[in-house]
Amino acid sequence: MAGKEIKGDWVWGWPDRKRPRSEFYKDTEGRVVGSRSPFLDLEGLITPTDNAFVNAQVQMPEPVHPEEYRFEVFGEVERSLELGLDDMRKLPGRTVRAVVECAGNDADFFTYLEQGGTGPKPSFELSEVDGIHWRLSGKKREKPIGDGESLVKSIPSTCMVTGGEWTGVPLSELLNRAGVKPGAVAVRLEGWDRGRPDPITLYRSAARTDFQVYDPGVINYDKGLPLAKAMHPDTILAWAQNGEYLQHVHGAPMRLIVPGWAGNWWVKWIHKIEVMDRMPDCYHQTHYFVSGKSPEDPDKKMMTALGCKSVITEPRDEDPPLARGEHVIRGMAWSGEGEIKRIEVSVDGGNTWHDAHVEYSPDRWLWKRWSYLWKVDAPGAYTILARATDEQGRRQPQTPWNFLRKHFDGIVPTHVTVE
Amino acid sequence: MKIVVCVKEIPDPDIAASVFQVDEAARAVVPVPGLRSVASPFDEQAIEVALRLRDQLGSAAISLVTLGDETAKAIVKNGLALGADDAYLLVDEAFDGGDATTTARALAAAIRKIGGVDLVLTGRQAADDDAGIVGCGIAEILGVPAVTFAMDVAVDGGALVVERSLGDGSETVEAPLPALVTVSHEVGKVRPASLRETMKAARQPLTVGTAADLELTAGDVGAAGARRTLERLAVPKNDVRCEFLAGESPEALAATLIERLSAARIL
Repeated sequence: MAGKEIKGDWVWGWPDRKRPRSEFYKDTEGRVVGSRSPFLDLEGLITPTDNAFVNAQVQMPEPVHPEEYRFEVFGEVERSLELGLDDMRKLPGRTVRAVVECAGNDADFFTYLEQGGTGPKPSFELSEVDGIHWRLSGKKREKPIGDGESLVKSIPSTCMVTGGEWTGVPLSELLNRAGVKPGAVAVRLEGWDRGRPDPITLYRSAARTDFQVYDPGVINYDKGLPLAKAMHPDTILAWAQNGEYLQHVHGAPMRLIVPGWAGNWWVKWIHKIEVMDRMPDCYHQTHYFVSGKSPEDPDKKMMTALGCKSVITEPRDEDPPLARGEHVIRGMAWSGEGEIKRIEVSVDGGNTWHDAHVEYSPDRWLWKRWSYLWKVDAPGAYTILARATDEQGRRQPQTPWNFLRKHFDGIVPTHVTVE
Repeated sequence: MKIVVCVKEIPDPDIAASVFQVDEAARAVVPVPGLRSVASPFDEQAIEVALRLRDQLGSAAISLVTLGDETAKAIVKNGLALGADDAYLLVDEAFDGGDATTTARALAAAIRKIGGVDLVLTGRQAADDDAGIVGCGIAEILGVPAVTFAMDVAVDGGALVVERSLGDGSETVEAPLPALVTVSHEVGKVRPASLRETMKAARQPLTVGTAADLELTAGDVGAAGARRTLERLAVPKNDVRCEFLAGESPEALAATLIERLSAARIL
């Protein structure tokens, strides 16, 4: 933040800091159907709900009144269940604080690093010119987007990560009441969101358009969770986020929380829970959100837990030159397999590494804040790196390049100049 | 250089269309609880043009004028936070029920009262009713040239140089000062207000004026002075039908599609 003017605004009639504002996608009726989180403008571990990223793979459903909400548990169970929100609130609850990251978050960094850092660098700074701000009037685009290929490239891949507190009931509580039959291996959760997957999302993920995509037709969004993860006590069905009832865009009345796993597993607007004796052939885990070397790769695998990742939030490449003296290098870190234990920082492009301070947090699934006090006396150009290590001993990066560019957790250099 | 920017308070144009309703019988917009008011985005861009001119010239006095009610204070305060020097708020029950003519009349009177104004800037249109009349009306009343749809404004040797948006291109025109320019969205992003300026703006007093202060009579403003009669107010209906075409091959589907589009006179 060094050298930057603090932005001002009017908050409840008072002059105040400008509140962080997400950038939105809207449908033709002006309803928000997607947003990016203003990552750099936030402090703390819990992302305010209005700043949490929003994403839907198919069309968002119409809202359901909480008192009319019903969902069913069926399949390989002793007793099928049909429940509403009031029934859920009678069960033993659980609150989990966890980070949720879209599988495609930061995908463009794969390409950036693959090109040796010579191409355009993706940014965490959100703005209209990123191509996602479609206002109804007044603030139209300064430049036309152009053809489909340009559109694909104009949508930023960053700022799709959010920390939150989720309140609900463990999925296992429900499954135990239904009685899971021996031989069950998966739990398929289906949302009310329904539509025909847009091929442009796959093309956007792969950053290329020269391949055929599988068309499943009109489908409800669903995912088949392996039974072990479904039974994990921190995998919960949540109706509240950050101390308030879930908002529609985040999956109200009830969504799934799968700590450590990418956002596409966190099924929203749940209306069916099916226990199965086989892994289901859900489009979004057999054709999308898969790893592979190419669209033709016969050995694609479904992707589950996130890697191990740290991000430098300060300083940024966009900052003006730094003065000689002390500067704080800080950022966030998270892992798909538990608590972040260590952050190392390099200010010489990776030749030497130094331990950073990792803030204490009791929540193993939530991201962690970290900082390193950098004393710099010599002017020049510096390359700052950070790498995280989690409780499993996994050190960043964990996820190799894959053609859909999912689960990026690479080490991204920050370039600064000291005067 | 003395610049006046006219700013209008409007309902937030970013609200979902489904929330926006009108009472056709009363010919009025149904108030939406909690709907916030904002400055018309084109007017914010007019302020941005004024600030850019001040940057270009080294100095310029920028005044804001708005006609509205007490809630418009927040809008002009925000303009002050962006960098304007002072603001004039025209509030009077006599202004109620006016139209573009009476609004232009009141704003022109205020600009005359400020005096010595070299340049008047307005948005190309207000983003609520989208009429786009008031700017040229002010110019007509003041007897100064009007240049519309500006995408870039500069001052060169005492003359105004404006690049005008033509939709499919642009043209550059010159005009002597004083003049009025309506600003289009191609001007681009408005600079953010700083916390320091916002805090300063909060403490800055506004000059509040009435019709009498502007030496306007009851017949000049409000419903009595209006020349427009609102015959009907309605939300346009979109009758969207979706038809899935059938065909045995992509070629057959394309042929059917061409046939349909031709029949609908789209091709």
